[in-house]
Amino acid sequence: MNTAATIRGCFAGKILHVDLSNSRIWTEETDKYAMMTLGGRGINSLIMIREIPSHVKWSDPENLLCFGVGSLVGTMVPGANRVDVSSINVFDGGKGSANVGGFWGAELKYAGYDNIIIVGKSEQPVYLYINDSDVEIRDASFIWGQTVFETERILRQELHDDSIRIACVGPAGENRVRGSAIMIDSSKAAAGSGVGCVMGDKRLKAIVVRGHGKIQVAEPERFMREIAKLYQQSSCEPATEMMRRAPLNLYSDPEWQGWDTNIVVRNGQDDQWEREKRVRLMGPTTGVPSMVRGVRACFSCPAGCMPYMEIREGKYEGRTGEGFWINTIMGHACRFDISDPESVVESWLLTNELGLDGDYVAGGLSWVFELYEKGIITKKDTDNLELTWGNADALHKLIEMLAYRKGIGDLLADGMLEAAKMIGHDSEYYLIQVKGQPSIEPFRIPKGWALAVATSPVAGRHLRGSTMGSNKYGPKPRLGDFNVTDYQNQAKGVVWQGKTKELEDNLGICSYLGTWSGANCFAVGDFAELVNAGMGLDLTEEELMNQYAVTGRNLEKAFNTLHTDMSRKDDLPPKRYREEEVKSGPHKGSKIDEESYMEMLDEFYELWGWDRETGMQTKTGLESLGLKDIAQEIAKQGKLIDR
Amino acid sequence: MGIAYDIKLCYACGICQLACSFHHTGTFWPDQSSIEVSRNPQTGAIKWHIAPSCDECPSEGEPLCVQYCVYGALKVHVTSLLKEMGESNL
Repeated sequence: MNTAATIRGCFAGKILHVDLSNSRIWTEETDKYAMMTLGGRGINSLIMIREIPSHVKWSDPENLLCFGVGSLVGTMVPGANRVDVSSINVFDGGKGSANVGGFWGAELKYAGYDNIIIVGKSEQPVYLYINDSDVEIRDASFIWGQTVFETERILRQELHDDSIRIACVGPAGENRVRGSAIMIDSSKAAAGSGVGCVMGDKRLKAIVVRGHGKIQVAEPERFMREIAKLYQQSSCEPATEMMRRAPLNLYSDPEWQGWDTNIVVRNGQDDQWEREKRVRLMGPTTGVPSMVRGVRACFSCPAGCMPYMEIREGKYEGRTGEGFWINTIMGHACRFDISDPESVVESWLLTNELGLDGDYVAGGLSWVFELYEKGIITKKDTDNLELTWGNADALHKLIEMLAYRKGIGDLLADGMLEAAKMIGHDSEYYLIQVKGQPSIEPFRIPKGWALAVATSPVAGRHLRGSTMGSNKYGPKPRLGDFNVTDYQNQAKGVVWQGKTKELEDNLGICSYLGTWSGANCFAVGDFAELVNAGMGLDLTEEELMNQYAVTGRNLEKAFNTLHTDMSRKDDLPPKRYREEEVKSGPHKGSKIDEESYMEMLDEFYELWGWDRETGMQTKTGLESLGLKDIAQEIAKQGKLIDR
Repeated sequence: MGIAYDIKLCYACGICQLACSFHHTGTFWPDQSSIEVSRNPQTGAIKWHIAPSCDECPSEGEPLCVQYCVYGALKVHVTSLLKEMGESNL
């Protein structure tokens, strides 16, 4: 890796540092981190591993909350709008990371910053106001306690500026609910890893941004030629059209393959949802699609996947919001057996409004419903709520109890795994979690998906390598042909996908347009051309995939190694999916076969360059990436494979 | 010639604003664009406006904003000299 080369474009140029403990604000040049990582999450990871000592816990003031805008964000690259939010993971103490789109990231770059690094804790609630070089820590008492939607409304009114972009936490984050999100532009969630919990713990209610600057590229004409090609590709590709209004276009067809391969029902009791329930929920005239008032896109995105919803009848009449998403169907509907469309849309709105991670709500609370079904908890434990499958009213009340820590919500707010240990009675077996984070992911049918989720360096995230579709459908070209239900060749696909995701998150490109979804807008060669024309570099596809992407993954893995005892034992699918079979549908009888899974895992470690048996990093592997100092730290803990 | 805007087709992605700024400055600089587009994420309302500084990109064949609007919300309007604007609450 040529770290001496000079980057001549795409970056805003500065990293903003804020110490909330002593109200100190300063900046540094992005350059010293940029060439090593190419931006975004890579910079967050590099700063975290160099600056957070291994004894620091998520709630310590020394923990960092890092916002990293992708290096291509702010330009016209299709789908370049993503922001990585990294911190110590509240669930496992390792690397936490959440990724979000919207407009906030581009605005931050126009204000002149690629990353924001927050350290310390404020004694009083504050918000950060950024208007180009004018950066202030301001009193937030007037918005503390407000929902996400109200916070956004009040700040716009208070600041008399409709152009501001806001990232904030809701009551859940303020109350340090582990599964809290940071909400951007009201409806887009940086969720997972509990980043909203960390922000609330730091008493930081919001970050308001307004920028007036520009993003320059090294070779403007060459850069625009590549962009023109990408827009042409995205316009011609039928999959991009399918991605528009995504959840509606895909799930409105009750025969769509995803209903058979990627759905988990009643907290993992089955992976098949009855056809009549699919139709009731997603039918075009009376289901969720009938509530669409319009569709919106994130910044610089030609795939416009966000339906703007309005509930038009019933007790939730008049409720509105932007961005109804696929996970809502997988999580808030199927996991609770709720097929009433208005109730499912309301669950999603409530989750956004309170600033919760939708997957934490769906994965965690559906577990609580199952405990109720099995009699492990009763009405005495739930403030008389009857947590029966399909009871949407009870779910909505439980979501509020979670966000405000009322009743059983107080127990659940400290983490579902911790709650399981308190509840006892085999409850932990029924909790579907990966490294402590509740998971809504399918495991038993799509084997590559299972491998990717279980091995993600950030607990339980499917985008870190899940293989979408099969060799008949999905990104092309991709290393590794496979059938979705087989174990063979999955590791190659998962590692390839994991590498491209590293690049996408550093460059800030949405996976929906990137290599993951099958939209086929980008190939790895396009990333290289954009980086070279935009930044004035001369990198090959090989260097991007086998140096930069591998460095990004190793930084996060090393952080986990230094901060936790994670090893091979933690890279397994939930026990339930290794023991119980799918009960119905075309994949009836499927479950994870441990021997076959372990073979996939061996190959997966080897392909990443880690020790095949333990999954740990090697001395030569880390040193070849220029991470000698990190290898030494791992060696001090006796966790480095010495070869 | 003019540029016609159809708010019903607009997704408020801001691509037109960026393309316009690139035409004027060779950089991506929304503040220097002839087009201003914004939306309120809570109400879904879009505001779109084009300023007199629009020169319809004489060197580009077709205005860049029209070229890059994948949603078909912008078109060259052959009969009108007016540049249209829109505002909508959905």
